[in-house]
Amino acid sequence: MKGESGIKKGKLGENIRELGILIAFIVIIAFLMALSPDAFARPSNLINIVKQASINGILACGMMLVIISGGIDLSVGSTAALAGVMAAHFSHPGEYPLFVPIVIALIIGAAVGVVNGIGVAYGEIPPFIITLGTMTAVRGVSLIASGGAPVFNVSKPFEYVASGFLFGIPLLAVYFLIIVLISAFILTRTVFGRRVYTIGGNETAAKVSGINVRKMKIMVYTYAGMLAGFAGMLLASRTVSGSPTAGSGYELDAIAAVIIGGISMAGGAGKWYGTVIGALMIAVIGNGLDILGVSSHYQLIIKGAIIVFAVLIDIKSKSRNV
Amino acid sequence: MKTRKVLSIVLVLLMMTAILAACGGGAKEEPAAQEPKEFAFFISHMTNAFTIELSDAVKAKAAELGVNVTVNDGGKDAAKQISQIETTVNQGIDGIIIEPVSVDAIIPAVKAATEAGIPVVIVNQQISDPSAASAYVGVANKDGGALEMTKAVEDLGGKGNVAILLGPMGSDAQIGRSEGYKAVIDANPGVTVVFESTANWTTDEALKLVENWLQSGKEINAIVAQNDGMALGALKAVEDAKLQDKIKVYGLDATPDALAAVKEGRLAATVSQSTTTQGLEAMNTVYKLAMGETVEPELLVDFTLITSENVDEFL
Amino acid sequence: MQYVLEMTGIDKSFSGVKVLDQVDLRVKPGEVHALMGENGAGKSTLMKILMGIYKADAGHIVLNGHETHISGPRDAIAQKISMIHQELNPVLDMEVSENIFIGREIRKKGLGKVGLVDRAAMRAETASLFDAMGIDIKPEEIVRRLSVAQIQLVEIVKAISLSAGIIIMDEPTSAITDREVEVLFRQIRQLKEQGVAIIYISHKIDEIFQIADSITVLRDGRLVGTDERRNFDRNRLITMMVGREISEVYPKGEATIGEPIMEVRNMNRGRRVRDVSFILREGEVLGIAGLVGAGRSELMESIFGMAPGSRGEVAVKGRNIRIRHPKDAIRTKIAMITEDRKRTGLNLKASVEHNITIVSIDKLAKFGFIDQSREGKVSEDYIGRLGIRTNSRKTMVQTLSGGNQQKVVLAKWLLTEPDIIIFDEPTRGIDVGAKRDIYLLIGELARQGKGIIVISSEMPEVMGISDRILVMCEGRITGELMRSEFTQEAIMGFASAMGGAGA
Repeated sequence: MKGESGIKKGKLGENIRELGILIAFIVIIAFLMALSPDAFARPSNLINIVKQASINGILACGMMLVIISGGIDLSVGSTAALAGVMAAHFSHPGEYPLFVPIVIALIIGAAVGVVNGIGVAYGEIPPFIITLGTMTAVRGVSLIASGGAPVFNVSKPFEYVASGFLFGIPLLAVYFLIIVLISAFILTRTVFGRRVYTIGGNETAAKVSGINVRKMKIMVYTYAGMLAGFAGMLLASRTVSGSPTAGSGYELDAIAAVIIGGISMAGGAGKWYGTVIGALMIAVIGNGLDILGVSSHYQLIIKGAIIVFAVLIDIKSKSRNV
Repeated sequence: MKTRKVLSIVLVLLMMTAILAACGGGAKEEPAAQEPKEFAFFISHMTNAFTIELSDAVKAKAAELGVNVTVNDGGKDAAKQISQIETTVNQGIDGIIIEPVSVDAIIPAVKAATEAGIPVVIVNQQISDPSAASAYVGVANKDGGALEMTKAVEDLGGKGNVAILLGPMGSDAQIGRSEGYKAVIDANPGVTVVFESTANWTTDEALKLVENWLQSGKEINAIVAQNDGMALGALKAVEDAKLQDKIKVYGLDATPDALAAVKEGRLAATVSQSTTTQGLEAMNTVYKLAMGETVEPELLVDFTLITSENVDEFL
Repeated sequence: MQYVLEMTGIDKSFSGVKVLDQVDLRVKPGEVHALMGENGAGKSTLMKILMGIYKADAGHIVLNGHETHISGPRDAIAQKISMIHQELNPVLDMEVSENIFIGREIRKKGLGKVGLVDRAAMRAETASLFDAMGIDIKPEEIVRRLSVAQIQLVEIVKAISLSAGIIIMDEPTSAITDREVEVLFRQIRQLKEQGVAIIYISHKIDEIFQIADSITVLRDGRLVGTDERRNFDRNRLITMMVGREISEVYPKGEATIGEPIMEVRNMNRGRRVRDVSFILREGEVLGIAGLVGAGRSELMESIFGMAPGSRGEVAVKGRNIRIRHPKDAIRTKIAMITEDRKRTGLNLKASVEHNITIVSIDKLAKFGFIDQSREGKVSEDYIGRLGIRTNSRKTMVQTLSGGNQQKVVLAKWLLTEPDIIIFDEPTRGIDVGAKRDIYLLIGELARQGKGIIVISSEMPEVMGISDRILVMCEGRITGELMRSEFTQEAIMGFASAMGGAGA
């Protein structure tokens, strides 16, 4: 749409979406504070929330890049489980130095990511399908690798990785923050990030503009995979066990965080801070409802409703622009 | 074009014949005048220490008796377990043991098996129509729950706030153990339940739940979890909040890690459902039935409370 | 009832652009009425209105003396109008007889509307239709197995079998051989005897002169004239189709043409590009003319690395280059402004600024980090240079007009400082003012010593701005004209050189 009014409408539409999510977030917090005045707003609880948002938030950062590039990754939950199992295997007291399980988790995550990337880029398999396949296969590998039961008995230093503090801030939050900053930086300031947006925006035009779309896709999925590996290691550290069934459904929470945050499922658009708000929102709701004693089943209904609402806002704001 | 059509019809006919043959052929085994040799064990899932221990025990007893047992993993899916049972029944087997995914859904499959002359032993979780099967070997989950809660109440001196972590809602274990809890709590008016929610047997859900409960401002004196996986998650949350001296945690299953935690004095108690004994007895019972002997319709194995006092016997 | 069809005063606009302006068309029963005009003249749009696919903004349609409204394709068929489309759309996985009877399947008697399909009857009917026309295709053959020529014949038979009063044939012979064209013409003559009117759209002037009774010429959405065929000769026809004064619309200055800057040898890609070789010189504007489907865009895509199955040699400034991906071409300082800016030229989800800088983004960055102030300066610079009308460089490019969007694409490529620029239909969908800007720009770039290739389907345009024209037809270069030799007839002649001869 040309002309003054056309431009104005466009700007308003975009701003509404970003602003809307923030407003919704604030409203939800206010609501929960009112319902549990003593418990909810306490500093220790707020720290709790950030801790609980961290693992999903880390997964969401990887998912965000994948979705912006026009794809999706359903395998991150399974990858996290496999990484957690293998990390736990290598973190029994006195066996290996601490960096070993961490590096192994990252390598496993990257490996799964590479498989996904190659499938999408060279096999031209739709991302939904290939990551559905890896999600299933990797879950099987975790069950085999763990012998079916969680791997317990991890060392104290390993436990500390996710449970410790840095100047009073939980380490989980520190990792989340660092990864958010890295992901944000990549998306907004680097050539790589610009190309990710372009591929998601118009893949053919990206190719014509000289972008090596295949290589980029592999890198994006590898990034998401590595973050899933990292998150899996953190989960194992946090629960002091590497469980083969851990992380199931985590990919959906990661996708939910990204969608609630306003990243378009079609790719090519969206701001990184939306994802952060999305991850925090999910944790806030879970925390608030747990404190109120609301059963986890109702929580699922509420989460689902919020996701649908967020997508509706996304669709509405898009149709205004066209 | 025509050849393709003819070929496809032929293929379909061949397939149908094969299926019919398999169906028909399977059921018509000669009546067992011979030694029973082949058994099948249907387990609800194979993803925690409990199920692994159970399965190992069944296999060990089978080896001892000199028979074969095939273990079928139901993957927590009732429909899958039903098809597994039906397929096996069709192919013919000397006896089956089932640790059910759902205590209601598998009853038709159980009936089909007994009607085909195959003895069925249910283990660990009783189905809702016990007469459909040949025998039950297991525990009364109610007793286990009661045992666990009794210890917790004792430690509280009969007064205090308790938070409860449940298994998946509607599962036999959850229902039974909750019944046991309720009986003890009702008998002790000084004890109040402040939180009660499901963490689906998993450590990370329990961890997050308890973390949030600890923030609620409500005082909690004891956390009773329906299995060890959740108990350990709760324990981690309590220790992270440095409240381990104020809150005692109780579990059930006697998994190796829980036992270790009891020995270290971190977990107040756990309960053994004598998983191994259940497995051994289940295999034994189905063998006897296959040999034509009669057995008790119900064989209950005892729960044992494990605390720091007796933990060494179990390690 | 002199006319079987009278369309009068037809107007049609799309998104504010007028594509038909007070067009009249009158067709007599039993006549073959040819509808002629360049690409974009409005012929297809007019026919789609007749078929009910579009609705006219103004005007009347009178069938057999009665004014009617045609609500959609089914209604058109019910009113005895059928059409053979230019783009063939059969149901590939059904058999020929099913395609012929699609939507009006013959049912087994006795079961009424709910009945079973009587495949035998459809096949028999189809077979007799084919026999009558001397066509050798099995009615039970699956359409996916047929050649394009055979599919076209099936479409022809389908339209004819609909016992229509008016049959529209849009480029019906684009894929078939001379022999089959004869079959078609025989059928057409038969239909004429039955009083069926045929509206015939084709670029093949020879065919028109063979078969048409009357000719109507459209140009730029307007009616130029209608007359009987015997009052036309080739010159008059072409002049009416094309005739514009060229010089004022196309500013062209002196050209200094230098050494060869790019040489293409034996470029091949399946049937679309056949053994093409040519040279492009510094400072030259090389026009590529031809009909839609001649293979011009395909040739450029092959050169630019967009088409993996291509074989051939490309040399730039004397050195052989392997171009397997656009980034290879870009590195060799070739730029490509594609035919469809919305589909392949722009990222509609991004801003003007981001679109301008995307190809050169690594040059605006240090160690992979974008220098955002440099990026801003550069994009502002080009916005000014090309006169791109936008609120700000951060505006979403989707909101710009077609002309300004095209300028953004130009800016993107000019930023790479290319030596060779390929323009594919650079002024498609753009108003006159912006067109002129682009012509001036092309001239300026040529003066800077760059080699420019322009693909254009608008004859006046390609004649106006080129120094030399290559004409393509069915994947080959069929003619080359220097500026002094430019005539519409010559170009059209080369473009339709293979009129009728298919495989």
